[in-house]
Amino acid sequence: MSDEYIVLKEISKRFAGGVVALDKVTIDIRMGEVLALLGENGAGKSTLIKILYGVYSADEGSIYINGRRVDVHSPTEAIKYGIVMVSQHPQLIDTLSVVENLALGLRNFNAFTSIRKISSFILEKSREFGVKVDPWEKVWRLTYTQKQLVEILRAMLLKARVILLDEALTYLPLEEKKKFYKFIKEFTAKGGSTVVITHKIPEALDVADRIAVLRRGRLVGIVEGTSARIEDVRRMMFGESAAEITYEKLPASQPGGRVVIETQDLWVTGDFGEDAVRGVDLRVREGEVVGIAGIVGNGQRELTQALMGLRKASRGRILIDGRNVTNRGIHEVREVGVGYIPDSPLALGISIDNSMAENIAALYQRKSALINWSEVYKVASSLIETYRIVIPGADSLIKVLSGGNIMKAVVSKEINYCKKALIAHNPTRALDEVSAAMVRRSIKEKAINNGVAVLLVSEDLDEIYQVSDSIHVMNSGKLYGPFPPDEAERSKVEHLMVI
Amino acid sequence: MSLEQYVANSIIELAPVFATFYLVALGHSLFEKAGLLDLAIDGVFFMGSSIAVRAAVASGSPIVGTVVAAIVTMLLGVALAFLMTYLPISHGAIGLSMMFLGYGIGIIVGYPARLEVGSIAMYAYSEGWAIAIMAISIAIGATVHIILKYTKLGAAIRACGENPHAASSLGVNVLLTRLIAGAVGFAIMGAGSSFFTLAWQKFWDPKSYTLGYGWLAFTVALTSGRHPIVLMPISLVFGGLIFYRVRIGVMYGVEKDVANLVPFIAALAAMLICYATKLKKVLAPPASLGKVYYKEERTV
Ligand SMILES: Nc1ncnc2c1ncn2[C@@H]1O[C@H](COP(=O)(O)OP(=O)(O)OP(=O)(O)O)[C@@H](O)[C@H]1O
Ligand SMILES: [Mg+2]
Repeated sequence: MSDEYIVLKEISKRFAGGVVALDKVTIDIRMGEVLALLGENGAGKSTLIKILYGVYSADEGSIYINGRRVDVHSPTEAIKYGIVMVSQHPQLIDTLSVVENLALGLRNFNAFTSIRKISSFILEKSREFGVKVDPWEKVWRLTYTQKQLVEILRAMLLKARVILLDEALTYLPLEEKKKFYKFIKEFTAKGGSTVVITHKIPEALDVADRIAVLRRGRLVGIVEGTSARIEDVRRMMFGESAAEITYEKLPASQPGGRVVIETQDLWVTGDFGEDAVRGVDLRVREGEVVGIAGIVGNGQRELTQALMGLRKASRGRILIDGRNVTNRGIHEVREVGVGYIPDSPLALGISIDNSMAENIAALYQRKSALINWSEVYKVASSLIETYRIVIPGADSLIKVLSGGNIMKAVVSKEINYCKKALIAHNPTRALDEVSAAMVRRSIKEKAINNGVAVLLVSEDLDEIYQVSDSIHVMNSGKLYGPFPPDEAERSKVEHLMVI
Repeated sequence: MSLEQYVANSIIELAPVFATFYLVALGHSLFEKAGLLDLAIDGVFFMGSSIAVRAAVASGSPIVGTVVAAIVTMLLGVALAFLMTYLPISHGAIGLSMMFLGYGIGIIVGYPARLEVGSIAMYAYSEGWAIAIMAISIAIGATVHIILKYTKLGAAIRACGENPHAASSLGVNVLLTRLIAGAVGFAIMGAGSSFFTLAWQKFWDPKSYTLGYGWLAFTVALTSGRHPIVLMPISLVFGGLIFYRVRIGVMYGVEKDVANLVPFIAALAAMLICYATKLKKVLAPPASLGKVYYKEERTV
């Protein structure tokens, strides 16, 4: 067929430890289409597109572009063929400015070209694409959305014909996401191709012309986007386990009288010296799940970090289980028995250069001089089993896991660790639907069965409604609510999020 | 002696000292800016200063000595950058091995030449060269600064030092970039070390000539946050303290051994000032300095 632009033929990839990430996968990418690449955590999606982008090389199989067989050994070569990847974690250099980052891949300028000269080219182009960013801003000062915008702009500057989006749009605020999808539509209308990886299946069905499903390294099938039914796609992805997916409201808990998490007029300063949290009064009782809804960047991150003692409170008090832990540091908070699922799990949730067992030991046996390894391994294997973490063993380094499985490692060790309270910020980010449903269920069970007070902060409003017993909205550092979790009042909550 | 004369004399005296410390620290900094940890510095320093002697004696010209030293160390720099980028092995281990290799090569290659000619003074740079050497060093430093800060190549070098995986994903050829930083950085180090024997000491006696000057340059680089411009005053002050330590000692009536400590105490003080203030952020080391990088590592 002439409209097959790229063909990945019988691609196989094995990793150390006998992991078969891909087993003879054949997929074509056509001109002018959006191809959704779906599959459960660890299915091999990222590996496949990293092979196409030259990050990994395939053990077997070949890549054809326009019918010609090519070798793609590095991203530099992929870019030459018009292939650009954008992943969930912006691959930008924080200490460099936007223009420096963008300049790195441009082949129409030689090594000694001054950045200033390149910047005028970039400015001109970004105006053409209708993108507004300050080219001299250092990347670390950008928000997540701005970084992803820079990544997309990069693809355009590199004259991409194929854009690979590995969960790149999944975690953007709704409005921004719509803009990005609109942009993708325009791009494909002009003949470009896009591969979209996401765990939001309805979204995939919405945008995709075709849907390819991987399972345990094999291609299950490719279906047309317009005619595909969501149940069929889910069955292709998960098999029998698809039945575990649920968005039904979980049973309500019976909170006790004791307040476990409490803040009084809490003020917290953000990274740029602004007041990120402004006078928050919050109370979570034992056995209760309190949800905080809100659009990213409204102080949620600073609030949870302050609660954990990772960020200074500039005013007010934090009490956990009746103990004043204000500005006492994370050790004191952990001591009380608080689990913490951070918004940036790679930075704060787990050490990816260590094994699962070592990460568990570091948290669970913080105070003992000698580590009881047999205890640690017992915990590790039970978590791996319960949460179905795809990992060669408890000794495997976290960094060899797939994105979702890293998240499962973080979430499982924290849920299991918490005794009094759990502070969970976007706990199902990067998880597939089956795992996400399971995690939400275990969080609720912890509250109901063990009386743990849960503070659930999430940008996913459905998730908030499914799990919470009462709901707050956080906007510009202020907390509104509580509201009961019945759907009747949902429009009020939605309104408070955007005012 | 008039004041002007005194100052002029001091500058001529200090110029080779400055050039030695400045260039070695500058080359080392460039290498490390690309994320490559350089623990070979002292061996490279010794090797460069000794090869310079050998080449100067053989050719009769100190300039040849400097050029040959730069070329040989450049090759070593390329080899180091290649090994550290291509193989998943520790930068520290390769660096330290190279340090000892440098000591060995230095003694084998250089010292016989010194024994042959008795004194190396007649093969060294004359005093007339002092200002030129200083000026060339500053010019090299300014060029490195401009390249690092204002060009695409400079951005690529810094990107490799901060996060080589992301750099690669952005379209940087990490291996090539590091080879360039390794070649240029080590060539500058080699040239700088040649000035140690051929312009500063002008004699070479194993009894008084001890190893360890490379580590002093290492300290200079660290104190200056590997910044080509900040390196200039720090090299001058540090070089001056080293050069005048005995005289300073006599002047203030302190013991020789105590006087010898002055440069190190000054370095400690400078580092404390750097790290206790806002300078810390400006002069922060590259985030991936010394980290193993190879392709199949995860790039989350
Ligand atoms: N660098 C690596 N070294 C070892 N194993 C790896 C490496 N990268 C991936 N794997 C393994 O390959 C398998 C597929 O991983 P991949 O990241 O492709 O999954 P995925 O489909 O993207 O999953 P997710 O939805 O969780 O992101 C996993 O079992 C993972 O552990
Ligand atoms: Mg993935």
